[in-house]
Amino acid sequence: MAALAGLTALAFFASASLRPHDAPALELRPALLPAYLALSLLRLAAAYALALLAALAIGHAAARSVAARRVILPVLDVLQSVPILGFFPVAVAFFIRVTAGSALGVEAAAVFLIFTCMFWNLAFGVYESLATLPEDIALAARQLGLRGASRWSRLVLPAVFPNLVYNSLLSWANGFYFLIASEIIAVGPARYTLPGLGSYLAQSVVAGRYEQTAAALLCLVAVTAAMHLLVWGPLETYAERFHFDESGDRPQVPRVARVLMRSRLVRALIGRVVVPGSEAAFRFAGRALDAVASRRALQAVLVLPLVALGVLAARHAWRTFAEAPLSPALAGLPVDLVLSLLRVGFGVGASALLAVPLAALVASRPAWRGPSLAVIQIAASVPAAAFFPLIVALVARGLGLEGAALLLSLTTMFWYVLFNVMGAAAAIPREMNEAARSLGLSRLGRLRHVFLPAVLPGLVTGCLTAWGAGWNAMILCEYLVVDGRTYAVRGIGAALDRATYETADPQVIAASLALMIAMIVGVNRAFWAPLYQRVTTRYKLDA
Amino acid sequence: MSGTTDADVLLRVRQVEQFYDRRIRILGPVDLDVRDGEFLSLVGPSGCGKSTLLRIVAGLLEPTAGRIDVGGVALAGVNRQAAMVFQSFALFPWMSVVENVALGLEARGMAPLERLKRAEKYIDLVGLSGYERAFPKELSRGMKQLVGLARALALEPELLCMDEPFSALDVLTARAMRDLVLDLWKSPEVKTKSILLVTHSIEEAVALSDRVVVLRANPGRIAEVVDLADLPRPRRPGAAAVSEVVDRMYGLLA
Ligand SMILES: Nc1ncnc2c1ncn2[C@@H]1O[C@H](COP(=O)(O)OP(=O)(O)OP(=O)(O)O)[C@@H](O)[C@H]1O
Ligand SMILES: [Mg+2]
Repeated sequence: MAALAGLTALAFFASASLRPHDAPALELRPALLPAYLALSLLRLAAAYALALLAALAIGHAAARSVAARRVILPVLDVLQSVPILGFFPVAVAFFIRVTAGSALGVEAAAVFLIFTCMFWNLAFGVYESLATLPEDIALAARQLGLRGASRWSRLVLPAVFPNLVYNSLLSWANGFYFLIASEIIAVGPARYTLPGLGSYLAQSVVAGRYEQTAAALLCLVAVTAAMHLLVWGPLETYAERFHFDESGDRPQVPRVARVLMRSRLVRALIGRVVVPGSEAAFRFAGRALDAVASRRALQAVLVLPLVALGVLAARHAWRTFAEAPLSPALAGLPVDLVLSLLRVGFGVGASALLAVPLAALVASRPAWRGPSLAVIQIAASVPAAAFFPLIVALVARGLGLEGAALLLSLTTMFWYVLFNVMGAAAAIPREMNEAARSLGLSRLGRLRHVFLPAVLPGLVTGCLTAWGAGWNAMILCEYLVVDGRTYAVRGIGAALDRATYETADPQVIAASLALMIAMIVGVNRAFWAPLYQRVTTRYKLDA
Repeated sequence: MSGTTDADVLLRVRQVEQFYDRRIRILGPVDLDVRDGEFLSLVGPSGCGKSTLLRIVAGLLEPTAGRIDVGGVALAGVNRQAAMVFQSFALFPWMSVVENVALGLEARGMAPLERLKRAEKYIDLVGLSGYERAFPKELSRGMKQLVGLARALALEPELLCMDEPFSALDVLTARAMRDLVLDLWKSPEVKTKSILLVTHSIEEAVALSDRVVVLRANPGRIAEVVDLADLPRPRRPGAAAVSEVVDRMYGLLA
């Protein structure tokens, strides 16, 4: 916790000393879109590779040793509840200062930002699937003498593979979602813009050139769809061989690529190239991971800078408050926090109320499931900024600013709930539905006695995720700049934005972040964790 | 039990104890010799520590106190002289039958061709030839356990450890597998000398064993060692001599 407060504090000391810098405007010719897209994809890929490596090393260490687990799990738990956008000023200031504002430093900052939206779920996924590895399998591996590289390639990687595929998909969706924030970097007077799809989208919105926004959006949707078809679908199918027999409620992913698998050419390709290739890849990855992730020294390298950074930053945080008069804006923050809390609460409730009937509808028509899941995942990765023009148009037609902020935050939160409820609905055993029908339960009765109890754990997971995402949404939605005008409502997110972009007030940045983190962690501990515990023990499908 | 010389003993368990949480004793102290060439069974009530003792012997669990001697040397780490068959099969679902069987050999650094040959030999011995490329999901429970057996035997261990290997199988399959294990153990093709079997079925222990170790619970201690070397084989269930021993053992456990 202390290290965290310190980390955030590093920002203001750094931000205060960043020299004003103006980014040259991006050229918005649509012909340049493919190039921008390629640059964004490169950034995403670099961040993903780092996130994957770190997640494997850290998740594995946590599963392997009790001592490591005691440190790693609480740290991950708190860090992942920091609103991702809250990391941004810190990281940016750090990287840009370290590299004296060189292009490389800005790139590194962007990659790091994307890393922070991809890493947490991957690390927890690795830990979870290793912690739930059947005991006899782990024993058998030891008995047979699997060690080092072969243990990685034969046991660890296969065991985490299905979970990694599922979480990688989420990580990429997240990465796309935060692309805008990562490519347009602004702390106080310093502004840097990296050429990419995200900055293109944002600038076209700010400039009010909506036909270019539409072109960029189309690009985004096309890429996401293509990745589903060509990457996630095949990987998901391939991952099926790594599932254990006693499969519980596995996350469900659309199988669009199933169609592709029917083609003889694709199958031959898989038999001749993909399978031997993947085996070689597993062996290679096993050796690489053994060389990197199993080393104590390297694990220390991952942890030590964090600690050092924390200590350093804590010192500066203390100075920020001790050596300057308290900012008058601080007094309003508690009220801001409550207002944002109400908005997030509304968003979670509304998402649940919308998602459950929709999921029930889809569940009653199995043929819709695959396509609708694909649509949801693509829709979920459309950045909120893309909706700005639409929202502004609605504001012009009489939707209040408050309504606009709420609607916009729903576009972030709703998908998490819907996705999780649909996953839970898909895991309802067929026998259960048939039993309910043969008992003569009506449609409504089946909904009440089968569907709702069965999706409850998924609903809680979804709401919990939406709750976390909701605070990010506040940072995005309470303060918009569209077509040269600022639209803002009162809230902690708006306070943070104003302090970051307008007043460069380090005290407000620190205090609003700290308040938000305290609220998120507190409510997680006091409300979501016990609720989740109760719901999963009571409503788990396999007794 | 006197009169056994060092040469007759494959493995010694000496003053072995296991604690849970440093405070709760779940096993021991236990002293036990596994003799060269014998079929030894562990029976006892659920929770008396049979699996715990077996894991300690296989070197998968380090005892809180005491030691295991293998050929006069104190065991440290996994027992390379032993191989294990698990109740839940513990097959790697992402590997084919032949890959599962060859895995331990690969880990021991055997060349690819050689381990393939060895794996195929044992797959053949357990009667699964033709299924080399199948995946565990595609096999029945009985076949899965055959793969588990072949995987253990392929290591050519001196001691084969089995933890309730037949209790997840139906009665007929279990009986066929018991006969198979006896046949393989006697066969000159298989190098395994001794078998240590954990079971909760007294009938099974009597049908198979040279000696039966009866454990009692809280903490797990040896209550009695019953020598069945003189009971003639094959031991048909229901035969008068067999029933008499079975009844006597039920008496011991009651
Ligand atoms: N990780 C653990 N934590 C706490 N107690 C344990 C743990 N592992 C084993 N025990 C206890 O140790 C005792 C012995 O367990 P073990 O599995 O060896 O018994 P068993 O004789 O094989 O039982 P069963 O016939 O049910 O398989 C049990 O009472 C069990 O509760
Ligand atoms: Mg047991």
